[in-house]
Amino acid sequence: MSRPLPYSDPAHLAAHQFLVEEAALLDAADYSGWLALLTEDIRYVMPVRVTTARGAPASNDMGHFDEDMYALRKRVQRLATDHAWTEDPPSRTRHFVTNVRTFRAGPDELRVESALLLFRSRGDTREADLISAGRADLLRETSGGLMLARREITVDEAVLRTQNLAVFL
Amino acid sequence: MNMIDLAAVVSQVRRGMIPAHVYGDPEIFALERDRLFSRSWVFLAHESEIPDPGDYVVRRVLTDSFIVVRDEAGTIHVMFNMCLHRGMQVCRAELGNASHFRCPYHAWTYRNDGRLAGLPFHEDAYGGEDGFARSGQRLLPAPAMDTYRGLIFISLDEKAPPLRDYLGDFAFYLDFYVNQSPAGIELRGPQRWRVKANWKIGAENFAGDSYHTPHTHASVVEIGLFREPKASKRKEGALYQAGPGAGTTYKLPPGGDFASQLRYVGYPDAMIPAMSQTWTDQQKALVADSGFMVSAATLFPNLSLVHNWPQIDDRGTVRPFISLRQWQPVSERETEVLSWFAVDAAAPEEFKRDSYKAYLMCFGISGMFEQDDVENWVSITDMATGSMARRLNLNSRMGLTSDGKPVKPPIAAFAGPGVAYQGFGEYGQRHWLSQWSDHLEREPAPKQATDLGVAR
Repeated sequence: MSRPLPYSDPAHLAAHQFLVEEAALLDAADYSGWLALLTEDIRYVMPVRVTTARGAPASNDMGHFDEDMYALRKRVQRLATDHAWTEDPPSRTRHFVTNVRTFRAGPDELRVESALLLFRSRGDTREADLISAGRADLLRETSGGLMLARREITVDEAVLRTQNLAVFL
Repeated sequence: MNMIDLAAVVSQVRRGMIPAHVYGDPEIFALERDRLFSRSWVFLAHESEIPDPGDYVVRRVLTDSFIVVRDEAGTIHVMFNMCLHRGMQVCRAELGNASHFRCPYHAWTYRNDGRLAGLPFHEDAYGGEDGFARSGQRLLPAPAMDTYRGLIFISLDEKAPPLRDYLGDFAFYLDFYVNQSPAGIELRGPQRWRVKANWKIGAENFAGDSYHTPHTHASVVEIGLFREPKASKRKEGALYQAGPGAGTTYKLPPGGDFASQLRYVGYPDAMIPAMSQTWTDQQKALVADSGFMVSAATLFPNLSLVHNWPQIDDRGTVRPFISLRQWQPVSERETEVLSWFAVDAAAPEEFKRDSYKAYLMCFGISGMFEQDDVENWVSITDMATGSMARRLNLNSRMGLTSDGKPVKPPIAAFAGPGVAYQGFGEYGQRHWLSQWSDHLEREPAPKQATDLGVAR
C-alpha cells in the first residue's frame, strides 16, 4: 500500500470535505441529495463480519448491503413514501467521520479510508444504537466535482445491535 | 416464582385470546426455556455450510453453544461446546475448518468427531486411566440430532421422535424451498442482528399473517419492488396449516400451467425441468391446479422461510429468492435474528447472483420488507412488558365465528396436505400458538447428568 497523501494535499482536503458534507446530507435525511453524490456505476457493499480464528477469512460471503444504483434508488424512493414505518418517526442520527486517509488511486480517482461511528436514536424509551465501521471509498473526480463510485463498509460487529439498516453508512 | 397462572394463560391462548404480557414476560420466557426449547427440534445449520471434512459452524439453542462439524470421514456431529475438564468453550470462532479443537485453558484436545485425543500429563496428573478414564470420552453430543434435506436439527430431548416424523405434512411445503433439484440448496450467510422484540412475534407472523402485508409493506408496492402484496391480491392467497408448520401463499394468475407459473415468479427455463422432476405430482398440482405459490412459512418453533419474487432492475426483471431465518430467543425482550439466503445449488450462476440481489433488497437486516416488520415487533414488545399488558387479551380470532367455526370453509380443491383457507385469517398463528400451549403445559423433561472419567 502506498503512503497516504499529506494532510495538506488539496486532493486530501477535497476528499475529507466530501465525506463531511456527505455525512451532513445523511444526518439531514436528504437522501436525494445523497444519491446525487453517487456515480451511475456505484457499488455499495457491507460484508457480514464473522468471528474466526486468526488468519482465517473473517467474512462468510454474505453482505448486509450489496447495492447498485437501482437498489439504492429503490431504497431512497421507499423512504420518501408515506409508508416507510421504520423511519417514521425518523431516527436521529449522527455520522461521525474521522481517521480520513487519502491515496491516489488513478489519474482521476482517489481511494479514501475513513472511520465511521453512527449514532442512531429512536423514540424516547429505547437505548440508542451505535454502529462502528471502517469505510474504503473510491472517489472519482468529475466535471461536477468528486463523486462516490464505490464504498466498502467494514463493520466492527459480527452481530449488529440495531433493529435494521434503514440507514446508510 | 410462578406469579402467573399458567393454566389460565394457556386456556386464553387456546380460545384465540392472547394475554399480551406473554410477549414480554420473564416467567413465560423461563417456561419456554424449560418446557419448549428443552424438547422441540430446533434448526441449527445446513450441510452446505460445512461441505468439507473439518468444516464447522458454532450455533446456539438459547444460551447453549454447539459445534456443528463434519469429521474426517464426512459424518456430521453436533456437540456441546464445553470442555469436559473445566468447562471452557473449546471453540471460540463461529466458523472455520479444524482437525482438532484445543481448549485454551489446560490444552485438552478433541478430534473433530468429538473424541478426546489429548490430555496433558495424563499419567502424572491423574495416574492414567485409573484416575481419569480418557478412552472413549468425547465432547457431550447433542441429545438428539437428525437431518432433513441437509437441514441439521437438534433436540435437547434424547427421546425426541425422528425428525421426519416430527415434520409430518409440513415436509410437503418445506420441499418447495429446500428441494428444487436433486442438488438441494446452498446457503449464504447468515446475517445476524439483535432486535428488542420477543421471538414469538416473528415466528407467528411468518406462520400466517397475510393480513399485515398490504399495510406494513405498502411502501414496497408503491415503489414497484414487489407488486403482489397489495390487499386485493394478498387476500386471494391460501393460508395452510400442516404438521408442525403453517404458511402463506400467493394466488397465481389464472390459466397457467406448471412451467408458466414458475416463469411468472421469475424462474429461468433452465431450472424448471429439475423442479418438474423433483417435485411430486401433488406438489406440482399445488402450483398448476390449485394455483398457489408458497411465500412465508414457519416450522415450529422458530425456523421461518420466505419465498418472494421482486423486480430487481429497471428492465423489469423479476427474480425469486428464498430465505431461511431463525428467531433465536435471547430474553423475553430480545431476539437474535439469523437470516440466510438460500438457492438451488444447481441453479445457473447468473440466477444465483440475481436471486441474492432480490433477497438483499427485500429481507435480512437491510431488506425493505424486513425493516418495517421489525419496527412493529419492537413496538409490541415494548408495550407487552408493563402491567397494563396484563389487563389486555389480544384478539387472535380472525377467521373464526363467535362459536369457533371458520368464517369460510377450508378450500376443497387444495392439492396440499393439512388444511387451507383462502382470505385473511389468523389460522396459522393459532396453529403455532396451539403447539406453544402444548409445550408449556407439559412438565420439563428430566435431565440426566453425565459423570466424566470416573469409574462407574
